[in-house]
Amino acid sequence: MKIKLFLLLLLTLACEKDEPGNVDNIPGLGGDTWEPGPIDIWIHDSLTVPYNISAKYKWDQGELDLNRTLTPPREEKIIPVLSAIKKVWINNYVAVAGELFMKQYSPKFFVLVGSASYNPDGTITLGTAEGGRRILLYVLNNFRVKGMPGYVPPDSFNVKQLFHTIEHEFGHILHQQVLYTPDFKRISTGMYTSNWNNVSDAQANQDGFISAYAMSAPDEDFVEMISIMLVEGRSEFNNLLNRITGTSSNGTTAAQAREKLRQKEAIVVSYFRNVWNIDFYQLQTRTRNSINTLIK
Amino acid sequence: MPDLPCLKNYQMKHALLYTVLFLLLLVGCSKEDDPVFDQAADERINETLAQCQATLAGAAHGWNARIVTGTGGIFHFHFRFNNANRVTMYADIDTTTAGTARESSYRLKALQQPSLIFDTYSYLHLLADPDGSVNGGNDGEGLRSDFEFAIDSVTADSILLSGRFNGTQVTLYRCSDADAAAWQNGSWRNALAFQYIGYIPEYFKRLTLSVSSYDIRIHQQRRTITFMWLDAGNQLRSFTTPYYFSSEGMVLVHPFTNGSRTIAGLASEGWDAANTLLRVRTNGGTAGTINGATSPARPDREAPARWWQLAASQGGYWVSFNCFRVNGVEDAFQVRDLPAFAFLVFWPAFGTQGGITYDLLGFVFAAGTSLSIGYGAAWRPPVFTADGRVLFQLYGTLGTVPPDAAAAFNSTTALMADPEGFYLVQTGTLAYDMVSARDARSWITWEY
Repeated sequence: MKIKLFLLLLLTLACEKDEPGNVDNIPGLGGDTWEPGPIDIWIHDSLTVPYNISAKYKWDQGELDLNRTLTPPREEKIIPVLSAIKKVWINNYVAVAGELFMKQYSPKFFVLVGSASYNPDGTITLGTAEGGRRILLYVLNNFRVKGMPGYVPPDSFNVKQLFHTIEHEFGHILHQQVLYTPDFKRISTGMYTSNWNNVSDAQANQDGFISAYAMSAPDEDFVEMISIMLVEGRSEFNNLLNRITGTSSNGTTAAQAREKLRQKEAIVVSYFRNVWNIDFYQLQTRTRNSINTLIK
Repeated sequence: MPDLPCLKNYQMKHALLYTVLFLLLLVGCSKEDDPVFDQAADERINETLAQCQATLAGAAHGWNARIVTGTGGIFHFHFRFNNANRVTMYADIDTTTAGTARESSYRLKALQQPSLIFDTYSYLHLLADPDGSVNGGNDGEGLRSDFEFAIDSVTADSILLSGRFNGTQVTLYRCSDADAAAWQNGSWRNALAFQYIGYIPEYFKRLTLSVSSYDIRIHQQRRTITFMWLDAGNQLRSFTTPYYFSSEGMVLVHPFTNGSRTIAGLASEGWDAANTLLRVRTNGGTAGTINGATSPARPDREAPARWWQLAASQGGYWVSFNCFRVNGVEDAFQVRDLPAFAFLVFWPAFGTQGGITYDLLGFVFAAGTSLSIGYGAAWRPPVFTADGRVLFQLYGTLGTVPPDAAAAFNSTTALMADPEGFYLVQTGTLAYDMVSARDARSWITWEY
């Protein structure tokens, strides 16, 4: 017993270390640093200070897929893209819901990529988001709005897609704060499917979904409603409903599909009013008008 | 009570065990530290990065680099780094990149190895861009090049880099005053004047050197050049080699030899815009020109029939996305501007009517997720001439051409019906260019 105690004592003494060594200058600790240029200053003044949002535009493989060929963005595209985001997304939410709302809930970190992300199936990814915090935006190098040299009307697709991604992800953040009414999930019960990627948007419309991706899950359905209604505007949403014809392969008639979409629209509108005290139609009009100034 | 030898033995073993443990403890916790390096890893990395930074920014005339991409193309770059994370560069990709300096951003970073990252878009990224329309590579991989490099070694005069994504090997060489001047005074830009060959309105390009002449075909994105000529026995010969640029002009990777003449390189002596020709000089000093030709030195006589038969035998069709190029104007008839237009097809033996099996030049449109032929021009069976041309004769119109598409449709059809016909030039196993035999100023690319 005595020996054991002695050993124990020795143990505590023997392994005492004094210093952790020299750790005061670890390279890269606290993130990369560089001489700030005009872009860094713009981001700091326009996004970070007012809304606590940062945007990484310099190449960092660690933020991206390791198996995709990608490029960083062209420097001349960064401020146009970010200021478009500010105009269309931030300013309009601030106008209808107030500064505090935006500071509290906005995703905090944008990663900007110059090229598209090419998928093995031949499609390209235009944007992704994770956990309501980080949003990756691709194809910045092809970002052109009206007035830029080389702008052609098909570019408006890229522009709308950019805002579609952002509004979609922001929708997720909102419903993760306060969930929408369970009535929403009952509108299309039994029609959610993991096979959504084999369905065209037109077929999805026939089943009462705003897009094919909306068929993947009720949460996606909800935020697709938000993002497409905001980006396309109210009249285009109505046009979309009017274009639905015929009966879907699942047996949904055009009238039923329209009815489902109307119910979903009503829930989105009341959700924004009751939960966030936001007039959705006002937000929609503002958002669509801002996008129109960029593309028309 | 019997003796208990095993118990005694057990106690002894215990004592032994404790002794060994005790000894182990003393040894195990020895704090003797004998590092191989006299500084901590962080200090050494910081020192290496600082040294790289000083070397990069310290070169008064910048650095030259030669990059061989994963697809085999050879490119030259000129970099000038400053101490504020900015780099200015030239590159011999085209006359713009060779003539206009572009500033972008770089930084040094400790990844698994000290690394040099060109972290915003620059000329270097043009090679690595996954968009095939930027650099002629495949979509999704580009030319398999790099812009994030591990620094393998640094000396005062050279820096060895290896790409972290595609493994591109790059060596930076410290420039002399003259090296830098060659970029700044436009020598490299002039060397790239071969690019202007694209402005020659004729499809066929001919290199004339004193008395002899060669048909040449330059693939600018793949950087290959093909020489075609008739030998003494009047046989068509051809020779293809990759090329790259120097500040003097084009350098052939494999020199071209024909009889007593060997061409290892062609220097550009200036683009003559008025006559749309490029003046050149061989490395041997012979002056010459590259200009347009209305017909090839020797047409590929079997090509038209081969082209037609390939699709006909499989019941398939040829596709053209870009439609006709006429007098240097891409899609001269604005076919691609038709709403929902997808591509043109040439469909041999499409159908039979009135006892005639006709070919179809179909205008294909996208409708939702499917494609369909909206309308098209029907042609009598083609005539293949002995001198290697194909002649099309209009048979009728299939479907109804809407009024707003009539101009595009009629112009395209009228060109096809040219009684002079077309040459076919095979550019790949499943790719042909169909070139107007009248003046070689109109052509269309067919892919299977």
